[in-house]
Amino acid sequence: MAASERRARFTLLQLAAVVIGAAIMVAPLAWTLLLSLKSNAALLGDSGAALSPPYTLENYRAILGGSMVFRWLLNSLIVSLGTTAGVLILCSLAGYGFARLEFPLRRTLFVLVLVGLAIPEQAVILPRHQLFAELGLHNSYPGLILPGLISSFGVFFMTQYFRAIPHELDEAAMLDGASRLTIFWRVLMPLTWPAQATLGVFTFLASWNDYWWPLISATRSNMFTLTVGLASSQMNYAQTSGLGYLMAQAVFASVPIFIVYILFQKQIVRAMAGAALR
Amino acid sequence: MNRIVLALAAFCALASCAPKSDQTQIYLQRFWGECGAVYGHNTDIAKAEGECGIITTMINRFNAENPDIHVESNVVAWPGYAQLSAQIAARDPPDLVTMHQGVLTDYAARGLVEPMEPILREAGISPHGFTDAARRGVTKDGRIYAMPWDTIGGLFHINTALFAKAGLMRDGRPVLPTSPQELLAQARQFKRATGLPYLIQSQVNDPATHVRNLYTFLLAQDAVLFPDATHIRIDTPQARQIVEMFKQLNDQHLSTLNQDTPAAIGSFLNGQGGIYPTGTWMIGSFDQEANTPGRPLYKSYAVYPYPRLWGHPAAFVDGHSWVMPTHQRSAVQRRAIARFLKFLAHHNFDWARTGHIPAFKAVLADPKFSALPHRSDIASLGSIGRTLPGVVRRQGAIEGIVGEELQAAVTGQKPVADALADAQDRSNDLLAQVD
Repeated sequence: MAASERRARFTLLQLAAVVIGAAIMVAPLAWTLLLSLKSNAALLGDSGAALSPPYTLENYRAILGGSMVFRWLLNSLIVSLGTTAGVLILCSLAGYGFARLEFPLRRTLFVLVLVGLAIPEQAVILPRHQLFAELGLHNSYPGLILPGLISSFGVFFMTQYFRAIPHELDEAAMLDGASRLTIFWRVLMPLTWPAQATLGVFTFLASWNDYWWPLISATRSNMFTLTVGLASSQMNYAQTSGLGYLMAQAVFASVPIFIVYILFQKQIVRAMAGAALR
Repeated sequence: MNRIVLALAAFCALASCAPKSDQTQIYLQRFWGECGAVYGHNTDIAKAEGECGIITTMINRFNAENPDIHVESNVVAWPGYAQLSAQIAARDPPDLVTMHQGVLTDYAARGLVEPMEPILREAGISPHGFTDAARRGVTKDGRIYAMPWDTIGGLFHINTALFAKAGLMRDGRPVLPTSPQELLAQARQFKRATGLPYLIQSQVNDPATHVRNLYTFLLAQDAVLFPDATHIRIDTPQARQIVEMFKQLNDQHLSTLNQDTPAAIGSFLNGQGGIYPTGTWMIGSFDQEANTPGRPLYKSYAVYPYPRLWGHPAAFVDGHSWVMPTHQRSAVQRRAIARFLKFLAHHNFDWARTGHIPAFKAVLADPKFSALPHRSDIASLGSIGRTLPGVVRRQGAIEGIVGEELQAAVTGQKPVADALADAQDRSNDLLAQVD
C-alpha cells in the first residue's frame, strides 16, 4: 500500500472520529433545541416526541411576552463583563508588579497568592457571606462581581507572561524617559494581548456559568443571574410543567455565550491547548 | 471622561433599585416556578391552572384588591432552603416563605421562624379550622409555626382500562387489595391478563418513593417510628415485611424497574402499567390526560389513597405551609401580612385545584371541593394523614438515608435486614449530631 494511500485512509479515520465526537457533543444541544420547540402536553407523555413535528414557537413567544429571562440575561452580562474587566485589570497590574518590580517580601507575597490556588471556594463561602452581609452587599452587582475578582490563577498566569517578555524592552523605554506606568501601559500591555484574551475568556465563562455564589448572594429574583433564574423557573416538583418553556429559556440564554465562543474561538482553542504562554 | 461618568451613572442606577412607594411591602418568597410570561397580569384565579399559575394569579389578585399593600414575589429554585438560610444568615429574610411541614422543625427549633398564633389571630384564622393532618404538620412543641396551605401525600393513581382488562374492576371502581398477599395475587393476575407490570414505580434517584411506602404502612400499624427526637426505629419485623413485599414485586417483575420520576410518569401516561403510586401533585396532569381523547388514559383514570394492607387506613403526608422568618417588623407590616394570610386562607379552595388536599376543614367539607374530579375519593387524606412527630429534625436528610438503603434492599443489592439496620444506624448517627 502506497504511503499516500495509507495517509489518506488515516485521515479518513480521523475525520470519522472527529465527526462522531462532534455528533456526541452536539446531541444534547440539538436535543435542547428540539425540546424547546414542543408544547408541554406533547413532551409530558414522551420526550421522544421532540424528534417529530409538529413544532411550535409558542415557548419563545412566551419568553418575549414577559419572562424575567431578559432581566437575568442583563444581570449575567453585567456580572460577567464586570468580573472579566476587573480580573484583567487587577491581574495585569499584579502580574506586572510580581514580574518586573523589586519590593520587600515580593517572593513571599507571590507564594501567598499561589496558596490561594489550593483553597476551594466552599471553604471561604460562609465567612464571605457574613462579610458581605455586614457590608450590605448582597443582592447587588458589586456583591456578585467582587468575589470573582480574586483570581490567584489570573495573577500567576499574568506574572508568568510578563516574565517571558524581554527586559530589554523596559530598559529601552526607560532610556527614552518613560515612567513605570507608561512602560506598563504603552509598551508591555499591548504585548500581553494573547494572555489577556485567554484569561478574559476563561473568566467570562466561569462567571457566566457560576451558580453557587449567585444562589446565596442574589436571593431576590430581580438580581438573579441566568443560572439561578433558569433553575427557579422549573415549575413543579415532578417537573411536569413548562418543560418546553424551560428549554426555550435555556436556548435563549445560551445565545450570548455562543456568540462569545464564535468571536473568541481562536483564543479559546489556544487557551485549551495551553498555547497562550508560548 | 464623559463616557466613564455615563457608564458609572448607569451602573449605579442599576445597582440601586428599590422603588419608592407609600404601599406597605410584603416580601414573599416561594417555589413552584416562575410563570410571569403566562400569568404575569392575570387576576382571574378561576382561569389559572397549575401550582405556579394559581399562586401567581392569587398574588396578582391580592395586589389588585389591596392598593395599600404590595406583595413582592420572589421565586426561588425548589425547594429554596439554601437561599432562605443564606437570607436568614444575612439578616435579610423574606416576610413570608413557603416551607414544607417536614422542614419546619429545623427552623422552629432554632428560633428562625416565628410562632404564628398572634398573626393568625389578627387574620381571624383559627387553628381549629385546620384539618387534622395540616394542624399536626404545623404544630411543633405545642406551638403553631405556620399557616398550613395543603396536605401532600402518596396516592394510588390507577389506569382503570387496564384494571378492567385484568378483571379488577367492580361496580365501576378498581378493586384494591386488603392484604400484602392479596396485592401480590392481584399483581400476578394483572400481569397475566395484560402482560404489563401491576406497579409503575420511580425507583431511581427518588428516595421519597420507598420512604413514603415504608412510613405509610408502618403508620398504619401504629408503629412508633421515632421513640424520641433523636432515634428512629425501623429495624423491626413490621418494616421487614413491608420491604420484603416490595422486593417480591421487583423480583417477580410485577413492577417497573430502573425508572426515575420522568420515566415513571411517561410510563403511566402511556398506559404501560396498572398503578403508579405517587403524590397528590400529579392529579391535575393525569386528569388532563384522562380528558384528552386518543390518549391511553382517556376516561381511564382513578385515584385513591394507599390501600389498607396492614392495620388501619393511614398515610404518611407532608404539606406546604407559609412561615414568617424571625425578623423585626412594624405593626403596619404585620397587619398587612395578616390581611394577606386571610386572603390566602379564603382562597384555599382554589389552591386545592392543584390536586393537593386543602388545609382547612371548611374547604374539605365544601361540596365545591368534592365536585372537583376525584377529590371525594382522596379527601380522607386530610384526616388519615400523619406527618412525622414535630420534634424530629433533619427529616429530609433522614429520608435520603432511609430511601437509599431501601432502594438497595428492594433491588436486591443488599439483604433487607441489613438495609434496615443500616438505615436505622445511619439515621441515628445523623440525629446524634443535631445540636
